[in-house]
Amino acid sequence: MKTKFLLALIATTLVAGTAVAQVKVEDAIKFRQSGYAFMAWNMGRIKANLEGSYNKDEVIKAANAIQAIANSGMGALYVPGSDKGTGWEATRAKPAIFTDKEKVGKVAMAFNKEANEMAKVAATGDEAAVEAQFGKLGGTCKGCHDDFKAKK
Amino acid sequence: MNSQRIRLWDLPTRLFHWLLVLAVIAAVVSGQVGGSLIDLHGKIGLAIVGLIAFRIVWGFAGSTYARFSQFFPTPARIKCYLKGEWRGLGHNPLGGLSVFTLLFLLAVQVGSGLFANDDIAFAGPLSELIDKALSDRLSGIHELLSNVLITFVVLHIGAVGFHGHVKKDDLVKPMLTGWKEGVSGEPARGGGIIALLVALMIAALAIYGASGSWLPESPPPAAVETPSW
Repeated sequence: MKTKFLLALIATTLVAGTAVAQVKVEDAIKFRQSGYAFMAWNMGRIKANLEGSYNKDEVIKAANAIQAIANSGMGALYVPGSDKGTGWEATRAKPAIFTDKEKVGKVAMAFNKEANEMAKVAATGDEAAVEAQFGKLGGTCKGCHDDFKAKK
Repeated sequence: MNSQRIRLWDLPTRLFHWLLVLAVIAAVVSGQVGGSLIDLHGKIGLAIVGLIAFRIVWGFAGSTYARFSQFFPTPARIKCYLKGEWRGLGHNPLGGLSVFTLLFLLAVQVGSGLFANDDIAFAGPLSELIDKALSDRLSGIHELLSNVLITFVVLHIGAVGFHGHVKKDDLVKPMLTGWKEGVSGEPARGGGIIALLVALMIAALAIYGASGSWLPESPPPAAVETPSW
């Protein structure tokens, strides 16, 4: 009985342990910066389509990419100790990200919501709706930059 | 009844002033809100470039009281004003200092904005002329300076309010009507139609330069085939 319980406990710990594979601080910052840079590429693509000739498939690809990153759980990359450090460049994450968890959660969820909506709207191919949603999505990027991204 | 009044601010100066008020309010709001307003923010910035360029030319070619030499705040003039001995018309020496400060800060503000980016999907029209690191730096300055500028605008409004309520000298009305009541002196002269046209032309040129429309177009993307993956 006791052994069984212990085995179960070990099994649970192992599963839980592998689920949050620890990322090195330097890598975590690199992954973060890569995610944002990749999203920037895709934001730029959507904008180019809105300003030039609109290609539905291009916008869908870009919106889906942003949605995937938004839903990837990037919060896990803000590992302890990664408030300082250098990935591709020195991190611009403000210390508040690690302390003001409630507000970070709020702006992050707002971004997730609009990113999901962006993918949905892109799928319809309705350019006007995409343009409106693009503004909303950009607004949620700014919502985080304003408070949690250090100025240079 | 004192019916004496003089022509103080010419129409272009007044139009400049109030258009700048509207533009700065719009720029602050669109900059704070961001999102879909950020493109508009960039366009307002270009409008402000034009307004500032116009005012600089008008500071030389405009009518009497709009000219920089008329109100350039030399230390001697400021000293004289602080001692209460200044008896002029138009911008007093401290007001002149405020005009130059605001124009300078605005010029730096729009100048940095032209090269800035928001790390989302907006970049100033001249940002491609410099590298990203410098653009980021200028973006930081642009944001920081916006607060400084707002502080000076508040100070400016406060000073005008002080003159109106405490010193009983209404500065707003002349800026609206162009007439200064209850004073005598030289009326504003100069700043005719040719000066106006020259100023407008230089303003248009400044906007064109700031808009980056003259930058070479990037080659059409159709030239390379995009892979299906």
